[in-house]
Amino acid sequence: MSNVAPLIEAPAEATSTRRGFLLRTLRNRPAAVVGAVILVVVALVAVLAPWIAPYGLHTQVGPVFGAPSWRHPFGLDDGGIDMVTLLMWGARVSLVVGFAATFVSMAIGGAVGVAAGYFGGWVDTLLMRITDYFLVVPDVPLMIVVAAIWGPSLFHIIVVIGILLWTSTARVIRAQVKSVRERVYVKRTRAFGAGHTRIVLQHVLPQVAPLLIANTVLTVAVAIFDETALSFLGLGDPSTTSLGKLIENAFQRTAISSGAWWAIVWPGVLVTLIILGCSLLGGALEDALNPRLRVAHLSARTFRLRPLVGRGEDAV
Amino acid sequence: MSKRWLAAVPLIVAALVFATTATGSGTKQAKTGGTFRVGTASGIDSLNPFVAFNQDAYSTFEYIYPVLVQYDSHLKFAPFFARSWHSSNHGKTWTFKTQPNARWTDGVPLTAADAAWTINTSIKYANGATANVAGLVAHITHASAPNPTTLVVHYKQAPGNVLGQFQQFFILPKHIWAKHLGHKGAGLKTFANPAPVVGSGPFKLVRYQKNQIALFQRNSSYWGPKPKIDEFGLQQFSNDDAMVQALKSHALDAIETVPATSMKTLRNAGFVVSDVPGLDQTDFIINSNPKKKKHRELLNLTVKAAFDHAIDRKKIVAVTFLGAARPADSIIPATTGSWHNPHLKPVSFDLKLANELLDKAGFKRGPGGIRVAHGQKMSYNVITPTDVQSIPRTFQIIQADFAKIGVQLRQQALDSSAAFAKMTSPNNTYQGFDLAMWDWTALIDPDFMLSVVTCAQYGGWSDSGFCNKRYDKMYAKQQLTPNQNQRRKIVWQMQAFLYKQRPYLWLANDDSVSATAKNWVGFKNTPQGPFNELNIQSLTQVHQK
Amino acid sequence: MRGIDYVLKRVAFAIVTVFVAVTINFVLFRLAPGSAVSNLSRVPHATQQLRHALEVQFGLDKSKGAQYLIYLKQLVHGNLGISFENQQPVSTNLRVALINTLPMVTLGTLFSIVIGTLTGVIAAWRRGTPTEALTVSSALGFYAMPTQWLGLMLIIVFSGVLPTGGMTNEFLLNPGFWQHLKDLASHIVLPSLTLGLTLYGEYTLIVRSAMLETLGEDYILTARAKGLKPWAIVRKHALRNAMLPITTLVALSLGYIVAGAILIEIVFSWPGIGRAVYEAVLQRDYPMLQGAFLLLTIAVVLCNLIADLLYFKLDPRITE
Repeated sequence: MSNVAPLIEAPAEATSTRRGFLLRTLRNRPAAVVGAVILVVVALVAVLAPWIAPYGLHTQVGPVFGAPSWRHPFGLDDGGIDMVTLLMWGARVSLVVGFAATFVSMAIGGAVGVAAGYFGGWVDTLLMRITDYFLVVPDVPLMIVVAAIWGPSLFHIIVVIGILLWTSTARVIRAQVKSVRERVYVKRTRAFGAGHTRIVLQHVLPQVAPLLIANTVLTVAVAIFDETALSFLGLGDPSTTSLGKLIENAFQRTAISSGAWWAIVWPGVLVTLIILGCSLLGGALEDALNPRLRVAHLSARTFRLRPLVGRGEDAV
Repeated sequence: MSKRWLAAVPLIVAALVFATTATGSGTKQAKTGGTFRVGTASGIDSLNPFVAFNQDAYSTFEYIYPVLVQYDSHLKFAPFFARSWHSSNHGKTWTFKTQPNARWTDGVPLTAADAAWTINTSIKYANGATANVAGLVAHITHASAPNPTTLVVHYKQAPGNVLGQFQQFFILPKHIWAKHLGHKGAGLKTFANPAPVVGSGPFKLVRYQKNQIALFQRNSSYWGPKPKIDEFGLQQFSNDDAMVQALKSHALDAIETVPATSMKTLRNAGFVVSDVPGLDQTDFIINSNPKKKKHRELLNLTVKAAFDHAIDRKKIVAVTFLGAARPADSIIPATTGSWHNPHLKPVSFDLKLANELLDKAGFKRGPGGIRVAHGQKMSYNVITPTDVQSIPRTFQIIQADFAKIGVQLRQQALDSSAAFAKMTSPNNTYQGFDLAMWDWTALIDPDFMLSVVTCAQYGGWSDSGFCNKRYDKMYAKQQLTPNQNQRRKIVWQMQAFLYKQRPYLWLANDDSVSATAKNWVGFKNTPQGPFNELNIQSLTQVHQK
Repeated sequence: MRGIDYVLKRVAFAIVTVFVAVTINFVLFRLAPGSAVSNLSRVPHATQQLRHALEVQFGLDKSKGAQYLIYLKQLVHGNLGISFENQQPVSTNLRVALINTLPMVTLGTLFSIVIGTLTGVIAAWRRGTPTEALTVSSALGFYAMPTQWLGLMLIIVFSGVLPTGGMTNEFLLNPGFWQHLKDLASHIVLPSLTLGLTLYGEYTLIVRSAMLETLGEDYILTARAKGLKPWAIVRKHALRNAMLPITTLVALSLGYIVAGAILIEIVFSWPGIGRAVYEAVLQRDYPMLQGAFLLLTIAVVLCNLIADLLYFKLDPRITE
């Protein structure tokens, strides 16, 4: 018996069918519901921002650091621009960065995981060594270095974050692929002479997809967190306004000592909610799919930790 | 017995109290002593004058090292370590009489020989370790000290800015620095010059911790005006907010630069906020390389004039700088005193005129309302360095107004090395950009600012690609005109020339804003801030009320 | 595989990782756009020959291969290069900065472990009640907050009460021992508290699940039946269960602690290694950035190695 117990207990779950597992997860875990609701609301607001934002994004509607009032419930920023508008657009940019970076990392991590798990042997060893290296390198300093060298643009930020986040996805997918590969029907298909590509696309990927999605949701949380950190260091794209950039801007323009706490508090609250939502939802999904992976969900940022559950052949 | 005399008692007591306090304040004796705590968000990057780059470092050197001359309150040259001077041999030889009986803080005598050694050493390694100060000793062949209070400097040609250059030149103790020459003088740069620093000024630097604190103590062996305080400290903060917070909570007595958004807060909290015109100017750069290949319509003076009239300087001052700035008009800011050409005024904001000029140039509007010039849309990337804080808001204002004259602008933010590299690419041929925004911090003497648009500064200081033979001739002439009135005439001509040629569209000249706690007076704000490289007035005069 | 094999394998892996980090470090910085010295040669009063002199000084005039070999040779001698900004050895600058960071980060990690353990115990003991939900939610909530934002929130709340900038009050002249200590303590509280609050969530969950597992065991039920006090049970059995994952978690969180330190030091003007990285980024001081990055990577690799070996020592079964 392992010394380390499952971290959040959950009812035992059948993970077989893809369809319905999402709903079942939501029904059984209140955490997932909360997370999903937060994300859906924020995503809706972000998508509809250009239409529902009350004022213009660059329109000065009052004095610098105007206090909250009925017309501007969240106050004004250092350019006299309405905070509600800024929050909506900020959420939009933050979510775009989060999803885009996650997409990059999902693509890389998924490919690496599938290749390593499916082919095994020296391919597996090589890819896992590379993964281990990326796992150990401190990500934020590396991001800082690369962003400093390449220059601050949205594209660079997305690529940089994506390139560093794929490792956990790779490991998780690899474990899943390994278990799928051993299944009888796959072996039979091979016996019939089906090509690797066909097997991967038709049999392996569909089994792996739910886990990939769960992992993706968690990665979004990390991506948004990292983007916030990079913006704070002045490495974010200056022509767009992410929530992280809002915090940095207010900070640079002395919001705190000017007493304009609203310029800093609300963007941070929104970021926290988004990250929390992703963590709750992604964690619950991953939990439902594979109880052995429970450790991953708890560390929204450090889920690049080597897993504390199982070692050797059992390692996930 | 009548008790009426009792009624007089309070009156007598009051009278006595009043008398004593009146006498007390009547003598108006400034309190001496104490520690003056100053906050900065910038800081001293190095205590080695051959390495340092930051204003705070130069201001430090002003207070701890001897300098031949200083600027007085009217920006005229006043004696400092040099008590008097004269030039001879048609301006090719300058003789300075220096302070007698002066000592370094370690007791060793300070003489003209130290000055001569510093000058000669700076010249000797001008292509290596002392390159940082090489410009200040340009045209000097050598310096000598025939006696301890006489310094003689020999020039190849008679320069026009001798005093302006020496005002920035710090004299170092030979007996300390000569030990650090090392391999081909390289040791001069690697010597950290740690505190306590051997110097000679109103203060001595006794403690320095990078990114944290520099502590200065009154120098009892100083030959000049004694400071009223015992000590002052320069505490470094990593951001403006923390610095303003520290002032508000009385952990500091003054701050060097007040961010525009904090001015009102500090005034309301009872601090004395001083707002004077400064030396920093923001600009909009038009690539003026005559050999430019793309978008040659930008070389057209009418187009440049149109752009100039499409800039709303008043709005930039109000929104970006919150009023703590004034519209700029020339490469030499008005705060340099008589060096600024007073006939030049900020260009008017006139969209109608701008549109007319562009129509006259024949650039009609095309699809989307964007004008077309020589078959290409007038749509440009504007390179902006990320370390100039005022640029993002200013760019938004300009972009919106340019859209109204049919010109489309897109911001391309790069960090300063990358920005400069792109602008000068490939290989310093200045083909890499069309438009950019940046800022310049001028010196009082105009030579430096005037040099940045010379052909010789390609790959050096030039960020505009401007290269004009006529201008270069004027530049060379003012450099070698010892007569200051004649030199001034040339400097004014050069400004007027650039006013029409417009390599830069000057935006705003921002103010120098500092704040001091109510109970301290004398911390004098100047265009270079209260802690500056102009003179030692601020910290020798500051005292508690 | 046998124990010694495992140890050797992990050590070898650590060494290879460091070597790869060194090489990537070198490559990354040579990819910097613009000549690395272009910023430096734009100094006031300088002449045109300066850029070439700088390139020679920093060895940038040699071929990339030759530069790489020189770089490796210098590293072996502990020479991390010369900082662009103050022309002093990078290792000196970093050493001073690291000494300043360590107490703050150590205290912060201690906070997180203590708060995490306490909340984990409470959550497990009060299983199924609203207390548990509240404890776990706040743990997750704090964990989700951007570190720099949490620091700013603490500043807003405590700005009159505690100092919000710097490591000490530099103007406290000739303080007594206790006065100095009090001054240091008042300055270190907010930064380390920020670090502690953003990290404690992990420990809460680990301690909670370790406790839940243990509390369900038969021998625990027996102990309770025998009348053993709850706290004794917690201390003797449940917490011991949690020791292993907590220990490994500390070592493995180092990567995040580093990131947190950078952000916290900027917010609180703390003169440590995080702020050194930030200033180096602002100045594009490549030798400093390169040196700091290498130092941080080696620290993390080392801690991961220690975690591996510790884990092995505490639970040798993992190699089977």
